[in-house]
Amino acid sequence: MVDVATTLEIAQASQAGMSAVGAGLAVGLTGVGTGIAEMGIGAAAVGATAENRDMFGLALLFTVIPETIVIFGLVVALLLLF
Amino acid sequence: MAGVSSGSAQYIYACTRLRVRKAQLIPREDYLRMLNMSLPEITRFIGETTYRSEIDELGTSFSGINLVEVALSWNLAKEYQHILELVPGDLKHFTASYLRRWDIQNVVTVLRGKMQKMSPGKIKEVLVPAGRLDRVALDRLIAEESPERVAEALKGERFYPVLERELPRALETGSFAHLENELYKSYYARLIADAKEGVKGGDIFLKYIQLEIDIRNIQNLFRLRAGDVHEDVRELLIPGGSFTVDELQRLAGLENQDEFIDALKRQVKMTPLLNALEEIRGKTALHGIEVALTRVQLDQMERMSKRYAFSILPVLVYLEKKKYEVANLRALARGKETGLPGERLQGYLVM
Repeated sequence: MVDVATTLEIAQASQAGMSAVGAGLAVGLTGVGTGIAEMGIGAAAVGATAENRDMFGLALLFTVIPETIVIFGLVVALLLLF
Repeated sequence: MAGVSSGSAQYIYACTRLRVRKAQLIPREDYLRMLNMSLPEITRFIGETTYRSEIDELGTSFSGINLVEVALSWNLAKEYQHILELVPGDLKHFTASYLRRWDIQNVVTVLRGKMQKMSPGKIKEVLVPAGRLDRVALDRLIAEESPERVAEALKGERFYPVLERELPRALETGSFAHLENELYKSYYARLIADAKEGVKGGDIFLKYIQLEIDIRNIQNLFRLRAGDVHEDVRELLIPGGSFTVDELQRLAGLENQDEFIDALKRQVKMTPLLNALEEIRGKTALHGIEVALTRVQLDQMERMSKRYAFSILPVLVYLEKKKYEVANLRALARGKETGLPGERLQGYLVM
């Protein structure tokens, strides 16, 4: 009987651990994806702004669009944890 | 990965900057407006664009057409040197190779000036220090006493062997045309060698060089036809394009203009060029033909630069378009000064 309870506890702890790993991966991998996506856009945005300062606002907007990917990751992580 | 990523980001940065600069070049509508302006109005107009600092700086030393001429040259040189600093890695290598054509132009100008015993100040006015030889190096050349001394001072330059070989003949005949042809042929041969030496992006650079050589050769064939030259013209053609020099020689031998265009069309695969050749069929004015072919080259380069968005091509498209912008403004200013009507001038502009 004691053994069953211990096993259940281990299974639950393992489940929580896996959820935490999943949450970490969700935020981490989407963060990397966002970084890669922003690399090109950021470089182009800086280039365009260097030539024409009026483009700053629009360039900034384009640069942060890939942030949505990491926000999706964060939402998934929060769903996994809570 | 980090190296590759930062490299591509630099390419994106540089290519975007040049695309923005290209978008800021003078549009067709402004040229059309300038056709109805007088020289002082044109000077004022370009003084309000990217040429402002040069017009302001030189306004006290020059006036009229000389102010426009020198300001345009200074701006072109400054712009090209700035781009050379701006482009990263392999792009710098190719851009520097491309810009060497200005060295040839400057050296031939200095040699001609020295031959004609022009004053150093006058020679300096017409130089465009946009290549590897900067203002200081060119000043040193101008200070030399004779063409032989100028050539001597260029020892170590890529084109020195050609200069050394051809200069005695040029000085003897008093004509630098052959020397100039040989220098440009060696320039194109060197460009091809640079593109093929294994640097990343060389294949794309090679596409541009072949396009440029093809268009230049076709323009030369039309020029030779206009001059009624049908004998052996192999020496005047540039090898390395998609046509061999023998094929071009065969085309040059054709007497009839329509026959010539038909034969040329059979060899050409590029659709825009085929269309342009068909349009050229009815034209007789050489400058109209040349402008139409230049237009094809620029359009084709533009198309290629969209296909290879982050390569040497966006840089070259800007450099070429800037060159034609300066040529257009110069033609406009010169034409207005000599009192040519707007309709006539329009035919000489690459818009």
